[in-house]
Amino acid sequence: MKKTLATALFALLMSSTAHASCSFQNTVPLKSLTAAFDAWKAVTATMAECGNVRSELDQDFRTKQPAAFAANPSLYHIGGVSNGTLVPLMNGGTIRPLDALVAKYGQDLQPNQLIKVDGKIMSVAMDVNDQHLMYRTDILQELGIAVPTTWDEVLDAAAKIKASGKVAYPLGGTFKPGFDLGLDFTNLFLGFGGQFTKADNTPSINSPAGLKTLEMLKKIAAYMDPEYLVSDSTFVQKQFQQGKIAIANLWATRAAALDDPKESQVVGKIGLAAAPAAVKGGKPATTLWWDGIVIAKNITDAEADAAFRVAIAGMGESTLKAAPAAAVWLIKGYTPTKYAAGAVASANGGAPPYPSSTVYGLVASAVGDGAADFLTGKKTAEKTLADIEAAYLVKAKEQGLVK
Amino acid sequence: MITARALRTPIGLQLVVAAFLAVWVVAAMFPLLWTAVMSFRVPLDALSSDPLVVLLGPATRASAMGISWLDLLLEVAAVVVVFRITSRVMRPMAVQYAPFGYVPLGWAQAAISCLGLGAIMLLVVVPMLARSLDTALASVPIIGQLATPAIGITLEHYRAVWITHQFYHNFENSLIITTGVVTVSLTVGTLAGYGLARSGGRMAFWILMLALVFRALPHSVLVTGYLPMFLSSRELLAPLWAAPVIGTVMHWFSAAPPTLYGQPWAIIIVLVSINQPFTIWMMRSFFDGIPTELDEAARVDGCTHFEAFWRAIIPVMWPGVITTGLFSFLLAYNDYLVTSLLLDAQSQTMVPAISQFLNRDTSSADQIEAIAAAVSITAPLFFLVMAFQRQIVSGLTAGAVKG
Amino acid sequence: MSIFIALPLIGVFIESFYSTQPVFETVDVQSCTPGFTGQTCTTETKSRPRFDANGAPIVATSFIGVQAYRDLLQPDAVVRAFGPDGGGLWALLSIDFYAALRFTVTFTLITLPLVIGFGLVVALAVNSVTRKLRGLVIFAALLPFIITPVIGALSIRWLFIGDGILTAAIRAIFNSNISMFAQGWTIELLMLTYRVWHVAPFAFVVFYAGLQTVDQDTLESAIVDGASRWERLRCVIVPHLMPLIVFVALIHLMDSYRVFEEVVGFSSQAHRISLQFLTFNFLTPDQTGNRAITRAAASSMLTMVGIVVLLVPLITHAWRTQRGRR
Repeated sequence: MKKTLATALFALLMSSTAHASCSFQNTVPLKSLTAAFDAWKAVTATMAECGNVRSELDQDFRTKQPAAFAANPSLYHIGGVSNGTLVPLMNGGTIRPLDALVAKYGQDLQPNQLIKVDGKIMSVAMDVNDQHLMYRTDILQELGIAVPTTWDEVLDAAAKIKASGKVAYPLGGTFKPGFDLGLDFTNLFLGFGGQFTKADNTPSINSPAGLKTLEMLKKIAAYMDPEYLVSDSTFVQKQFQQGKIAIANLWATRAAALDDPKESQVVGKIGLAAAPAAVKGGKPATTLWWDGIVIAKNITDAEADAAFRVAIAGMGESTLKAAPAAAVWLIKGYTPTKYAAGAVASANGGAPPYPSSTVYGLVASAVGDGAADFLTGKKTAEKTLADIEAAYLVKAKEQGLVK
Repeated sequence: MITARALRTPIGLQLVVAAFLAVWVVAAMFPLLWTAVMSFRVPLDALSSDPLVVLLGPATRASAMGISWLDLLLEVAAVVVVFRITSRVMRPMAVQYAPFGYVPLGWAQAAISCLGLGAIMLLVVVPMLARSLDTALASVPIIGQLATPAIGITLEHYRAVWITHQFYHNFENSLIITTGVVTVSLTVGTLAGYGLARSGGRMAFWILMLALVFRALPHSVLVTGYLPMFLSSRELLAPLWAAPVIGTVMHWFSAAPPTLYGQPWAIIIVLVSINQPFTIWMMRSFFDGIPTELDEAARVDGCTHFEAFWRAIIPVMWPGVITTGLFSFLLAYNDYLVTSLLLDAQSQTMVPAISQFLNRDTSSADQIEAIAAAVSITAPLFFLVMAFQRQIVSGLTAGAVKG
Repeated sequence: MSIFIALPLIGVFIESFYSTQPVFETVDVQSCTPGFTGQTCTTETKSRPRFDANGAPIVATSFIGVQAYRDLLQPDAVVRAFGPDGGGLWALLSIDFYAALRFTVTFTLITLPLVIGFGLVVALAVNSVTRKLRGLVIFAALLPFIITPVIGALSIRWLFIGDGILTAAIRAIFNSNISMFAQGWTIELLMLTYRVWHVAPFAFVVFYAGLQTVDQDTLESAIVDGASRWERLRCVIVPHLMPLIVFVALIHLMDSYRVFEEVVGFSSQAHRISLQFLTFNFLTPDQTGNRAITRAAASSMLTMVGIVVLLVPLITHAWRTQRGRR
């Protein structure tokens, strides 16, 4: 026990000293606001090596970024975004096109890293991310369960695991109301072939696909820790690490943490696969995300120059070397680690990209806030969906998207 | 003495009272003490569901540092001794060594020196003493058991919070905001409270009633009013900067109108507005308790209105000011709603910054760091109660609660 | 005071009738996202804001009357709820605003007597303890009141969440498999407990201060008259403390009506929300980066109406005594 702890401690020390170095010396004071998962920790650590960079890592960045970037001068120079959180910044007109900067400093970038909207490069992506299946290989093997490919199979497996009593709760899931639950709903809803809105932006959530999605969510929840409504990604990650759950649909960026001996009790027992499909033979019921950086508009050009160089350095080879398993990187020279298997499988299975648009942003907010009412038994499925549509309509009308 | 005997409590009731108080004190302290204990343990111990493991911290002892029962005993004894000495010495020290004969300054001086000496005593002298005692006693049979390390302790989370994550920035912001709020609201509160207490007309009554309604106002209402202004203050304030005379004055402060969102000093305005009704109300009831004869006597002696206030009232108003000041301090220091909505991640005070720690919570260590941050925020409050406990009670007795 | 409080209030009032929104246009946008082998570029018809020459989005402000209030109060849904098979009260309480109102009001009314009761009992108990111990007991009892509310709530949450040690203890004692954060009523119970824990010390200090000024002569004559302990408490001490009890009740009424920190600290928004949290939620940007300022203003106004209704009896009472004094 003592020895393993000592080695763990040693590894910790090494990991914090073996910092990747930055290729140039930055002299302009810069600030960044990004999410806080391991990939961002790695990227911001490299950025800090360039000097004069202060990084804020915050999982709540999506609510803080719009106002902070709208300020003049912007409170941050560099922002970490994903396809879902790029929209508010685009709508606010608070980030700058990067074409000139990419031409100047972006020799090492790969073409598929450049996120173009309407012909202009608005962001540079660093990794691809999705929620996919993670499971305990030892438990599935012992009980003779094949790796599930649809959610119905997941439920069957869960029933068997529950009967065996091997873990406290067979399933885990990010069901916290708001963003997390909204995304789970989205994944399944699209998997059932649903369409969120019609051409005139009026909602069509109250549909057979919506009903099936809610029913499925409830069936999944029945196999989860009853406190599932406070369960976000970190909660599920910890449940896995402490050996309390056996199967979950979780972010690819969390996979490496499950194999981290410092925190996890299930090292080497985690398997990854494509997200289960909603219907037999369907595409994996998940959405593909990318994470990347943007540069604020309300800063001087000199600052933007420095910020871009620092950000590019953060997404460079040295980060890849320091944390090869932290994400499914898009960085040049990346060779997929075993932790990329799930994401690659989902993508190859044809999972759609996350719908990033203003309309969908409103849908996601309404769904995330409203879907819990069905799970808690407060409302019937039809009433829940009708109320979600009503909540969406209020917002959409407020914004002038629906007449 | 019939009365004394009759007032004496029967033994049964005494026992009930003692038991009740014991339960109450435990209930009052337990969550806080437990949180404090958790912050000194490595995640494996802190998050254990076995209370003994949390208390003794075996993994912490193995990986970081352990202290013996003897050390703990010594430390506790030292805390009690230091506390008793300070509570005796503070008042005479404050009065006798007051610089320029000004008592409040004397209090500040006494507080700082007591805190400093106490800290050196508790954090340096006693641990060193304990260490040497441990080595001396280690070979003695039974006592030696007590002198060997038994309880694990680690300071790594505090180091991470204060040094790695630069919590002192948040501390600075808290300091700016609380100082500003306490100074402004006490100044305004004292003057307005005095005026209202001495005028007593219909006007004064309605002002007080208005203050009451404002006191009851949910803070979110005010924030709703301030937020849009703060976000677009640059445009709103532009005319001020362009105006002929005022503009010149304004240019002394900054070249362009500031964005108030994310400025700690701008928050002072909002918090003072929230706090002011209460301060005025409290100071008014307090001045009501000071007999009018006092300032009338001063007026007869030939003082002006202002001189009467200065000479006759100020010397006797300190208990009220301290109580009111304490409540103002608590409001500013403890606020979450206003600061989290009007400040952004990097200009935040300590309390909303906590949620940032919780939000970057992607590993178990992050969670313990959040706990360590919480304890760090609580510690100053702890000393505050210790120092001002008597003033709170006497201040409330002296009149602030009559109204 | 009037500038910094009244002006924003008027601003909020006006805001609640106007809506400011970006002007959207529907265009075909080509966007490219990364895949593993190359890029996937798609052209979609999307609604996106229009920008002016400086690149700032164009916004338009329009008068919308009481629309924001209608969105909040949903009068149609209320009528439907009480119509034939509308579901009655349950249906009403599934509308956010009424759920928040229900929680806020019951929260206030349940904690009020508990806070006053506990405060009084602790004050009496402390007052009967020898002077030597008093300082220590007062110090310990005051702590929960001084503590930052969010942190106080978190410290209790950490004891109960998941396999927290107190949840584990409850499970062991009652041999049940309860999870404190799994259903609404346990969370509500925790929130109530937390609030009493947090505020009772304030009531205690005020009452304790009041007890120091009880007229000893009256007390002695009561004893001479043969009044029992209970009678002394009821006829001498409580009447003496009455103004203080009213004061504490008033402060508590105002404070617990704006209950907010509990919702954040216990992350109870899936089960229970309060009126102030409702406004806070509107003010937080949603996934398109927009804050629903109009609805926040409307809910602020409604919250304010509530507190004024709560305070009217007190104000009229004060007015009468004020006139009586002349």
